[in-house]
Amino acid sequence: MLTELLQGIEAGGFLVIQDSCSYSGRHLLKSFINAALNRAEVVHVLGFDVSEEELKDGLRTSDTQRLHIHSAYTDPLGWTERPAFTVHQFRLEDLTDLVKQTPHPKPATLIIDSLSWILRHVTPPAVCKTLHQLRKGGAVRAVIGLLHADMHQRGTVGSVCHLATSLIAVAPGAKGDEAVAKITKRSKFRKVMQDEEIFSLNGDFTVTIHSKRSNPEQNWNDAEEEQVDPTAELTFNLRLSDSELEAKKKLMLPFVFSKEKLATLSQPAFLK
Amino acid sequence: MAAPLSSVSKTSAERLPFNTTSFQKKTRSKLISIPGTRPSVQNGQLLVSTGVTSLDYLLGGGLAVGTVLLIEEDRYDSYSRMILKYFLAEGVVCQHELFVAAAQDNPDDIIQELPAPILDDVAIHKPVEQPRLPCEPPDNLDAMNIAWRYQNLPKVQSALASSSRFGHYYDVSKTMEPEIRQAAKFHRFYLPEHLAQPSTTHSPMLESYSALLKSLQEVIHKEGFDLAAPMSKSRNILRVGLHSLGSTLWGDDLSCHDNPKHRHALTTFLYGLRALMRSSLSVAVVTVPSHLIQDRALMGSITRLCDNAIALESFKGSERETNPLYKDYHGLLHVHQVPHLNCLASQLPDHKDLAFKLKRKQFSIERLHLPPDLSETVSRVSRGELAGATSACGSGTSGTKHLDF
Repeated sequence: MLTELLQGIEAGGFLVIQDSCSYSGRHLLKSFINAALNRAEVVHVLGFDVSEEELKDGLRTSDTQRLHIHSAYTDPLGWTERPAFTVHQFRLEDLTDLVKQTPHPKPATLIIDSLSWILRHVTPPAVCKTLHQLRKGGAVRAVIGLLHADMHQRGTVGSVCHLATSLIAVAPGAKGDEAVAKITKRSKFRKVMQDEEIFSLNGDFTVTIHSKRSNPEQNWNDAEEEQVDPTAELTFNLRLSDSELEAKKKLMLPFVFSKEKLATLSQPAFLK
Repeated sequence: MAAPLSSVSKTSAERLPFNTTSFQKKTRSKLISIPGTRPSVQNGQLLVSTGVTSLDYLLGGGLAVGTVLLIEEDRYDSYSRMILKYFLAEGVVCQHELFVAAAQDNPDDIIQELPAPILDDVAIHKPVEQPRLPCEPPDNLDAMNIAWRYQNLPKVQSALASSSRFGHYYDVSKTMEPEIRQAAKFHRFYLPEHLAQPSTTHSPMLESYSALLKSLQEVIHKEGFDLAAPMSKSRNILRVGLHSLGSTLWGDDLSCHDNPKHRHALTTFLYGLRALMRSSLSVAVVTVPSHLIQDRALMGSITRLCDNAIALESFKGSERETNPLYKDYHGLLHVHQVPHLNCLASQLPDHKDLAFKLKRKQFSIERLHLPPDLSETVSRVSRGELAGATSACGSGTSGTKHLDF
């Protein structure tokens, strides 16, 4: 499902990449930027966490006219004279203006690196409202945001993820460069699909998928097969030998009606 | 109660010429007859259906008019939304008026997604025949030869049947036909359209909630749902559906922090809502994303401010999805509160372990039970085998594994 998402999320989609200190989701975010640039889309990046140079490192630099980075790394709160972008500009009107500054025929994809920085300085209801307006507004085609889940209270993370159409939660994998992505995707008809994939990122930010663990039913079948045989260590016999069987057949059970009983019962002594 | 009485007497007076006897059925004129409602068997409260028949049964027959049903949303809000849509669809079919408020999706979208009613035995009420006149003589019928006496009787049954039945079945795989949908009167409240400027006041109520309450009050007063207002000629029920209250999109930080700033905003709103409902012919369904609300005490007081409270727990994304015990179901349903209306004791559901499932066409609530274990390894002997194996235990088992016991 990760490759499906990389191939493009639907218009009006909102993807959240949720990471923690144990594994950074920024590299995956960069692969999403690269994938969008490869599809000849216009990409606007709001950078708070890392500098512009660091963000551009590894991205396809040939497409610079379609990649617009609004860096708020050096001055996020607007303390100097001419800040490029501040956290207080994270409102629908300002963002629409920002995207409209560079006119393109196609609506752009907005990348937010990261939502955590914004959530530290703007109240969560305001952030959620802006995100929702962006989705519905039509100024941008899709929004992709990075969220450091361990920096916020659980309810805040839940509220932001509640708005998302797709959610990728990344965590370190078992082996060195591998990582586990838990993907939750809501389809247009409100069907929820979930998937878990192990992936690794290459040097040019392409994603290699190693294995899938999608079917919960399959897991269940596996678990059933592993069940131990209940007849393995019994203190009694389950099967009878031939002689035992013979003996058992000979045995007369007390309440079974038989010919002998009928004979006894029909004797005149009984009938009297 | 003046109007229903007079209307009843008027119709009986009109019918008099056709009646051959002076005996008349004693009518309970105390109850207002509104299509799609019925009095409760327990306490005589006027009930409306939620649209889900099994949920009606759980709630003691239906939702009492003037009460609020709280639905705690499941994690992805798919099933709670479905119940809300059922509730609204039932309103459309019964020709009640609707009031839909949402912050996330446009209420028009919610209305468009309503499930299609399965009306096999009754005629669908087309908007063409809007002015429903029960006393209209049936002109297209052939003259009756045998039961000629009934020829001129008003054709009441077929006209009323489409709306007076309590509770309908719906097909969730289809959406309601636009002509049925458009026949319903529908008031909408979409938060982004009502909120011009962000709130700056420090009242306990948020701007969004007070705007919603004001809008609802306006509808109730204007459309004559108020019980205190002089009775108009026909009364109707207003069905209020409020989607995802308490989520961040309503401007509420209830679900974000452990210690929210607007702690009393939602509870204040619910208090006002309940007062409005109690004094009008309306019934409300409120969904709240309770899984996001961290403060259990706050959730408790929200529950107390509603009359009915049910919670949906979807198996999606939890380890229960893979548990074979739950493989027939899509989630669990918890009844947290049932109303105490005009009495001390309330009608409790007879069963506490409830589960819901969404079949291809229908959403239903059932008792949770273990599925019959039909696998090979079961050591239980079925009834048929027992009958055959009375004489000899060994010969009875004819499975693949030969066991003497």
